[in-house]
Amino acid sequence: MKILVYLKQVPHQDARLDISSDGTWIEESNIKFEINSYDTYALEEALKAKDSEGAEVVVVTAGQDRVTQALRTALGMGADRAIHIKDEAVDASDVLGVAKVLAAVAKEESPDLILTGLMSEDSGFAAIGPMIGEFAGIASTTAVVGIEREGGKLTVERELEGGNLEVVEINTPCLVSVQTGINQVRYASLKGIMQAKKKTIDVKTAADLGVGDAISPKLTTEKVSVPVKGETAELVEGSTDEIAAKLAAKIKELGLL
Amino acid sequence: MTKILIVSEIQNGAIREATYELVAIAQSMGGEISSLVVGGDAASDAEQMSQKGGGTVYVANDAALANYNQDAYYAAVNAAVDAVGPDLVLFSHTSAGWDVAPRIAAKLDAGIVTDCFGIAEEGGNFSFSRRIFNGKMEQKVVSSGGPVVATVQAGAVDAFDGSSEGSVTELSVTIGDTRTTFIENKSPEAQGVDLTKSDVIIAGGRSVGSPEKFEEVINPLAGILGGAVGASRPVVDAGWLPHECQVGSTGQIVAPKLYIAAGISGAIQHTAGMKGSNFIIAINKDADAPIFEVADLGVVGDLFEVVPALTKALEAAKG
Repeated sequence: MKILVYLKQVPHQDARLDISSDGTWIEESNIKFEINSYDTYALEEALKAKDSEGAEVVVVTAGQDRVTQALRTALGMGADRAIHIKDEAVDASDVLGVAKVLAAVAKEESPDLILTGLMSEDSGFAAIGPMIGEFAGIASTTAVVGIEREGGKLTVERELEGGNLEVVEINTPCLVSVQTGINQVRYASLKGIMQAKKKTIDVKTAADLGVGDAISPKLTTEKVSVPVKGETAELVEGSTDEIAAKLAAKIKELGLL
Repeated sequence: MTKILIVSEIQNGAIREATYELVAIAQSMGGEISSLVVGGDAASDAEQMSQKGGGTVYVANDAALANYNQDAYYAAVNAAVDAVGPDLVLFSHTSAGWDVAPRIAAKLDAGIVTDCFGIAEEGGNFSFSRRIFNGKMEQKVVSSGGPVVATVQAGAVDAFDGSSEGSVTELSVTIGDTRTTFIENKSPEAQGVDLTKSDVIIAGGRSVGSPEKFEEVINPLAGILGGAVGASRPVVDAGWLPHECQVGSTGQIVAPKLYIAAGISGAIQHTAGMKGSNFIIAINKDADAPIFEVADLGVVGDLFEVVPALTKALEAAKG
């Protein structure tokens, strides 16, 4: 069995974000990056399958040099090899263009299963998974919190609104986008990190994948800004004890003590 | 004239409120509005949609459309797209919307923008407003020709409540073999905690740090107020607290008399589940955290100092 895992490297969730000088993204120098948390759950799901029934796990990402770190981490956790799409035209494209390039990898690799996260924590589109499915000509499903495999089919639990679930059977090969919390994600062991140094990272461009002409963006980001705040909370200030006394008084006033 | 296609959703036997929010956006933009209504037997829903701003309504009735199925819905949306030739296709950003809308965009080779809270038209092109980085930043995305597929955040605008005379047309959809099969819907199992019944909820976020810290810092405050302990999604994902403690659009929707959010930044996913609370106190280190936008009282500070001090003050006040 071969499992392809698409992952994205995103700013660390505690990183302090400033807007870039051109005003269309955030300033990426001087901040830490990490693997998008949704994608770590997708990778863990692949590694669990590898542990239980044996599988080749291939991780794929696009981006400039910094994303090598994310691929090394994934290899350290147990992925077998990595594909790095390094192409400025891909980075400058939109979701549609990136999906075409990522789908071209799926066509080349013909995996039995594709896993990725429901959405990224930076752009938050939640669109790339199903788009890869469409371009690769395979079924897809999203927001999955449980996967069971039997024969050529998966039975998955999709998360709907309000904590409700939907059980769906889906033919393989297929793309499954996972919701956070589907498993407990492992850490890369020291041994894993050492072994990862010997694993290969193939670097490719959109042209190498035969889609170099198809990725000019249809949508562009005109502006990124700090949200204009509506009404905000009345701030309680003072020493910790003064703050506590003021909050306690308010709670008493609400009749809740 | 701009052609807008609204993809509606039926839930519990009626058109969803979120669909009428799409109608409101389409109506405010002006243009030629069409809608798609799909279901096992959606004739009356289609009729209602045509009278409530949906314009030219296409209805696809098929047993295969009675429950959400990606392949079947995809076939229906494609048939509607062929009939309308839209410049803009609108979906709600729901579990159905984010599942099928991207596939439609890929099929049309169209740009896609998701989870928008605002859409405008400027000189034949569209601009979309949305939040990124878990709500910390706002992004304006613009199109430059060609159709666009967009999904809209539920609750972003008020639902359209006007009326209009539209029409209903049967849409013939060929649904072949589907690669996905709907098996069943499952509701969350009712377990110990029912947050929706609590007058007071003390909710902690990822920065509480561990299940032990929840017990040490959050539980005593909940104890003295006779309240329940809630959490943001990362806390239950990490297994620190059971899933029924999760407050948010994918967890419990609560509206207690008092909601105290400790170390919760206030991603839309969370605030959607608690902003209806009668009184909200937020404690967070980051003065820019979006939680302060929904809170009544805010403390910019360390929850590990403020929460125990508050517990002590309440104990003293109780005497």
